[in-house]
Amino acid sequence: MTNATNNTTGPSKNSKSSVGRRAFLGTVGSAAVATTVAGCIEGRGGAGASGPLTIGHLAPLEISQGLGSDRSAKLAVDEINDDGGIADRDVEVVSANTRADPSTTHSETERLIQEEEVDVLVGTFSSEATQAILDLVGETGVPFLITGSAAPTSITEFIGQDYEGYKSVFRSGPINSNLQAEAMADYAEYLSDLHGWSSYGFLADDAAWTKPFSNLLPDKLESRGFDVVHEDRLSLGIDDFGPVVSDLSSADPDAVFRFFAHIIGGGLLGAWHQEQLEFGIEGIHVASMTPGFYEATEGAATYETTSQSGAAGVTDITDKTIPFVDAYQETYADDDDAPSLPMYMGFNTYDAIYVYKNAIERADTADYEGSLDDIVSALLETDHTGTAGQISFYGADSEYPHDLQETRDDDGKIANFPITQWRPEGEIECVYPEAYRTDDHVAPHWM
Amino acid sequence: MSEWLFRIVINGAMISALYALIAIGFTMIFGVGGVLNLAHGALIMAGAYVFLFLTRTIFLEAVALPVLVAVPLTVAVVAGLSYGLYVGLVRYVEDDVVITFLATVIVATALTELVLGTLGDQPYDFTVLAGTTAVLGTTVSYTELLGFVVSWFAIGLLWYYVTQTDGGRSILATSMSERGAHLTGVDVGSVRARTWLIAGGLAGTAGIFLVGGDPSATPLMWLHPLALAFIIVVIGGIGSIKGSIVAAYGIGYLETLTVELLGQGFRGILSLVVLVVVLLVLPQGLYGREFVHG
Repeated sequence: MTNATNNTTGPSKNSKSSVGRRAFLGTVGSAAVATTVAGCIEGRGGAGASGPLTIGHLAPLEISQGLGSDRSAKLAVDEINDDGGIADRDVEVVSANTRADPSTTHSETERLIQEEEVDVLVGTFSSEATQAILDLVGETGVPFLITGSAAPTSITEFIGQDYEGYKSVFRSGPINSNLQAEAMADYAEYLSDLHGWSSYGFLADDAAWTKPFSNLLPDKLESRGFDVVHEDRLSLGIDDFGPVVSDLSSADPDAVFRFFAHIIGGGLLGAWHQEQLEFGIEGIHVASMTPGFYEATEGAATYETTSQSGAAGVTDITDKTIPFVDAYQETYADDDDAPSLPMYMGFNTYDAIYVYKNAIERADTADYEGSLDDIVSALLETDHTGTAGQISFYGADSEYPHDLQETRDDDGKIANFPITQWRPEGEIECVYPEAYRTDDHVAPHWM
Repeated sequence: MSEWLFRIVINGAMISALYALIAIGFTMIFGVGGVLNLAHGALIMAGAYVFLFLTRTIFLEAVALPVLVAVPLTVAVVAGLSYGLYVGLVRYVEDDVVITFLATVIVATALTELVLGTLGDQPYDFTVLAGTTAVLGTTVSYTELLGFVVSWFAIGLLWYYVTQTDGGRSILATSMSERGAHLTGVDVGSVRARTWLIAGGLAGTAGIFLVGGDPSATPLMWLHPLALAFIIVVIGGIGSIKGSIVAAYGIGYLETLTVELLGQGFRGILSLVVLVVVLLVLPQGLYGREFVHG
């Protein structure tokens, strides 16, 4: 409001204006004061407020994951509005394009908070972008549910260091990459039981999100009795997989775990098929989560696996998973820009909006400026059956405050970390964990 | 030890041949017109997407041409695009370096948006020639081998054209001294247009074999080859075709050696160090003398 008043006090270039400058200033000024006062009296939002609740959605909207998340957010909001809204208030979603760039993410977040006056933020795809806005989120206190980025440091180095300063920050999915590394090691045990594989290679993007895998996974594999025969971090600008393939061939692992989000592993997959390299390709490959990836690689994706929240909707993780994917596909059947699957971030964003809805209805307020503690406690009480699994948060005193809790099966293995595999003819099967498995993992036919 | 050495020799040769294809067109355009064509990477990208369009049924059911037809057709289309870019745009602004610079960046970003708008960010991959073979104990794909052969074939053709024909010699003359070329009756305008045509053909070829190799076709795939072309051309000497080939092999082998000795994470760093050293010590590059301000 002060900005609005300040802007109009600048020298006017239009002296012929029929409205006198002084009169104009007076009108704008009093209007500004009036709205400021009104704002103070009403507070922002609140269960008693009547205006719509606004959800700010942050994602890179030029990439499929961001678009899937955007459409999933809109689907959730449409469903909620059809069902009476949140605490009887209508809901709207404002989507901002972060371009996966930290500074764009920061300015867009400022815009969402100050101009769009959002009541909650959901999203962010890259961990670098997430961390660029945590100070801003902490200062304003706007609730923020992370749905696309997995770096543990987004929790441990912010809310983990200064709980009061960052208490409005939650992550409703995916599980952080420290936990993912543990799940990967469990998955290696499954591969060993199934195929007798005992030696593994390790490749990763040279980026922040893969550091937990680099730091933890090789040790975890070795402590389970496996050999780690090759480890490398790859330059993001890699244009020649020849040396990597040579190294892997001479190290001769049974499977290689690769963690690619920035790098597109098409070149590796091509060499793998053409040279019939004798190892499995496992781990995380973000490009491979896009529904068209099999066709785009001329089938070179066959037999590779990737972990992804929601397991591409091929298995009923909960009773909401498949209905959500069906509703998504039905809603966006004619939308050329919408990816044909919500993908991992779509599942997480859709769930986050319901988590927020339930918390606001428990807290009986959405006014984070006046009642943030009520909203935070309500969020901490979350025990929500989402589309990607059961959602509850770690408590304030835990190692990962407000982070998504992993779910575990009867053997203590992490369960909310499903792994899918591309099959010949472009089918997708969920191969891990056992609870959600649609088919066992298949080794490449040449092995 | 010998196996290790052969691996470096073979892997280095494959990637360097590609780098030479990427850089030569860029250096020719700079040598002849003094134009920094920042759309060069976009023309490489166009090569990849045109080839994809011509060979795959996922875009148009009707077209799925055999490789033997699709490769020359792609090269012709991209050469035409490059020619069109010069005749339709650059020709009118080339006297102003800054405007040309901006105009070519805009063309590159516009192409990115066009790809994003029509195909989205989906990465695409293809193989030009399926199968692999072992050369001196190192496995290489037929696509890489074909790329190597085509690269040298193109260089040979270019060498023949530039040194043995009048049309080609006028390109060389213009790049040495524009005023001299004018005085000896060379039609500089048509020389430039021809240079863009040739550079486009080389860029299109590079695009096919780049994506046929390891990188995937994405809307922003032009950035990395453009940066590479820059580095190679500065090291080789701006405007020198011979310098570009030597520098392409220098950078290709340097990267391969770096990867073998220091690891993948260091891949691009040493090239940048060499670039800085060359800029400080040898600012005209290895063979920079062919280019004389007209």
